[in-house]
Amino acid sequence: MTARTPTLSPARHVRVLRTQEGVLFIILLVIIVVLSLLSDRFLTANNLLNQTRLLTETALLALPMTLIIIGGGIDLSVGSTLAWSAVMLGFSWQLLGLPLPLAVLVCLLTGLLGGAVNGYLIAYVRVPPLIATLATLAIYRGFSFGISQARSARGFPEEFAFWGQGQIGPFPTQFVVLVVLIVAAHLLLSRTGFGRWVYAIGNNEVAARYSGIPVERVKFTLYALSGLMAGLAAFIFTSRVTTTRADAATGLELDVIAAVVLGGTSIFGGSGSVVGTMLGLAIITLLRNGLLLTGVKGDATFMVIGVVLIIAVLINDLVRKR
Amino acid sequence: MSEPVIELRGISKRFPGVQALDNVSFDVREGEVHALLGENGAGKSTLIKILTGAYQADGGQIFLRGKPVTIPDTRHGLKLGIAAIYQELSLYPDLSVAENIFMGHHPSLRGGLVNWRQMEQRARAILHELDADDLDVSRPVRGLSVGNQQRVEIAKALSHDARILIMDEPTAALTKHDVDQLFAIVRRLRERGVAVVYITHRLEEVFLLADRVTVLRDGRVVGETLDVSKTSQAELIRMMVGRTLDTLFPKTPAQPGEVVLEVRNLCYGRTTRKVNFILRQGEIVGLAGLVGAGRSELAQVIFGVTPAESGEIRVNGRPVSIRSPREAMALGIAYVPEDRKNQGLLLRMNVRENTALAVLRQLLRYGFIDYAAEDRLAKEYVEQLQIRTPSLLQQVVNLSGGNQQKVVLAKWLATKPKVLILDEPTRGIDVGAKAEIHRLMNALAQQGMAILMISSELPEILGMSDRVLVMRQGTIVAELDRAQATQEAVVAAAMGADELHMTLVASTSLNP
Repeated sequence: MTARTPTLSPARHVRVLRTQEGVLFIILLVIIVVLSLLSDRFLTANNLLNQTRLLTETALLALPMTLIIIGGGIDLSVGSTLAWSAVMLGFSWQLLGLPLPLAVLVCLLTGLLGGAVNGYLIAYVRVPPLIATLATLAIYRGFSFGISQARSARGFPEEFAFWGQGQIGPFPTQFVVLVVLIVAAHLLLSRTGFGRWVYAIGNNEVAARYSGIPVERVKFTLYALSGLMAGLAAFIFTSRVTTTRADAATGLELDVIAAVVLGGTSIFGGSGSVVGTMLGLAIITLLRNGLLLTGVKGDATFMVIGVVLIIAVLINDLVRKR
Repeated sequence: MSEPVIELRGISKRFPGVQALDNVSFDVREGEVHALLGENGAGKSTLIKILTGAYQADGGQIFLRGKPVTIPDTRHGLKLGIAAIYQELSLYPDLSVAENIFMGHHPSLRGGLVNWRQMEQRARAILHELDADDLDVSRPVRGLSVGNQQRVEIAKALSHDARILIMDEPTAALTKHDVDQLFAIVRRLRERGVAVVYITHRLEEVFLLADRVTVLRDGRVVGETLDVSKTSQAELIRMMVGRTLDTLFPKTPAQPGEVVLEVRNLCYGRTTRKVNFILRQGEIVGLAGLVGAGRSELAQVIFGVTPAESGEIRVNGRPVSIRSPREAMALGIAYVPEDRKNQGLLLRMNVRENTALAVLRQLLRYGFIDYAAEDRLAKEYVEQLQIRTPSLLQQVVNLSGGNQQKVVLAKWLATKPKVLILDEPTRGIDVGAKAEIHRLMNALAQQGMAILMISSELPEILGMSDRVLVMRQGTIVAELDRAQATQEAVVAAAMGADELHMTLVASTSLNP
């Protein structure tokens, strides 16, 4: 739609700023300005690039979560899936003695399996998403502890660190991977037939089914995709922290969902965007980082983020009503 | 002649892109039923929302018993004695009848606790006035018939001591029996001096019930408010549509061709029991019956929503299995459902997206949507069906009922179906759009489409069908050709002989 208006007229500028993404963008700018005034260590290339390293895992999970929530569902199990996949990576490499690339493949497939089970339960057995993924949140975490026996795998070879600690040009490796996937997710959601189906299902599942949309298949695919991304995040996470622990990423699902909702995706489904989610995540990450740099204690950071979440949602509401 | 209880003078209201009301004056007197008529989108809903305080007018004034008032919100409106009962009832299904009636203003004991005894007593007293003693006030609303739920709504309005009661299409979903009871209640309220604003699409109700009538068109009052005794149905229709409808059912007789759809011994649960019928190219077959006879259920079995448990469906003579709407679509079957808001439309998505939804696969290039093709498709159908929308990017929730129905039709016509099943295609839409849809059905049949039309409106069934099938208790009990299909014959078959003393639930409205 935007493609057909190559130049932005002044009036259109204003309209863009009135969209949800526009509002979030302004909030993000305000936060950056304020924080850079409070701390001179904040607005540096080094610090910002380092932040992209830290946010990649959350971002990878937030991409499919955006699609899932737009489609009227939710996936609470992503943190546990990540931990389980990471544990499988360490387990198959260290205990089973698989070559590392194969162990990474096991890690990705574990995530995919976890997601596929969610998808099967939700799409075909018709368990409500909240309940299905709350259950697998516990089950996959249980697998992590059971398989790892609470021991962590470490001692990965140096070349393995490339994915979590290395660089491509000036950019952290995982950030490059993330940017490619953001573009892919954005195109998938906003330009493809599949994306349109996701919106349709979130809008009115019954009408979507009556219109011949393969509702079950779309839902299954979304959750499977979410699992696969958790597997990928597990791989990058392991490479970054060089150890696999069963309690990794505990509570991460809340960060992910907060970013999606802050990004303007309706928790009831039917509307939202990948760009919004990424802005939401940027706001949360930079706020947390900036406040730490200015010497605010960790507990206070959480409160500030909570307040920002509520303010952003209110502003969004205001914009939408006009 | 009594003074007006409430009077609107020169009310205007603008929404982005549309002047919903333009200098409208309107008044209601004590102890009268004032009917408000108009096509969908004429401004009726906006007018009543201004009356209740849900909307604020941009211009003009409201007078209550001669004194100017402002009504900032509906709560305030209720305090002034203005209550409305909308088409879609707003009850809490799991709360009791009494709780619903006193929602928000229950009698309380000291300390703020609910005074249950007094609440139920007062609820019973109000229902008694409505001649609805048979309603158990401690029962949850869920499971009450639509008619009884409506009585609860009326009781709720009366519990606020409403002196002005607005009823928005109260009979749309009622059975004949409930309609009679509702009329009795409205007359009783009138005797008690309540001023009733009565909105309806059924012209005969105006003559049965109302004292005066006002017609709205395009946000303006047409002519002036009339005494019902001094007007006629023909005049009112002319006022509503702004033109004379030469004929309401422009039926062109069909040239039936090959059999396209054949159904043999089709069964599903208790609602579809050994159904047999055929459908030929180019004919319109009406499916009549009482509400609950299993007509929509049959359509949903054929369309694969609830796949058949046994029996056979043949398309073009070939036995097929239909397990989902997708498979039905692939075979050239389309179904325009009765409940367009829940089953037909993505209300928050736009006209273009809704129109393209069922054929999206054909608009993909390597998985990506070809927006230019989608645009062309939507434009083509907006023009063909004369869908009135400011743009293709308008959310369908903002369209009037008739135009929403056309969007659903457009979505299905885009699939180029061989068999089109229409479930109550003109329910709740205005006279003008109705005639357009009927003309369209004729044109489609002429082009060779086979149409199965479910309808509860007898005039529509008789006016549009080449053949009529009558369903009762899940099966087809009669097949009548156009010559045999009289009102009496259809009713007799739909009722079964022993129930003949009752009348068909279908209204016989709009029969000029």
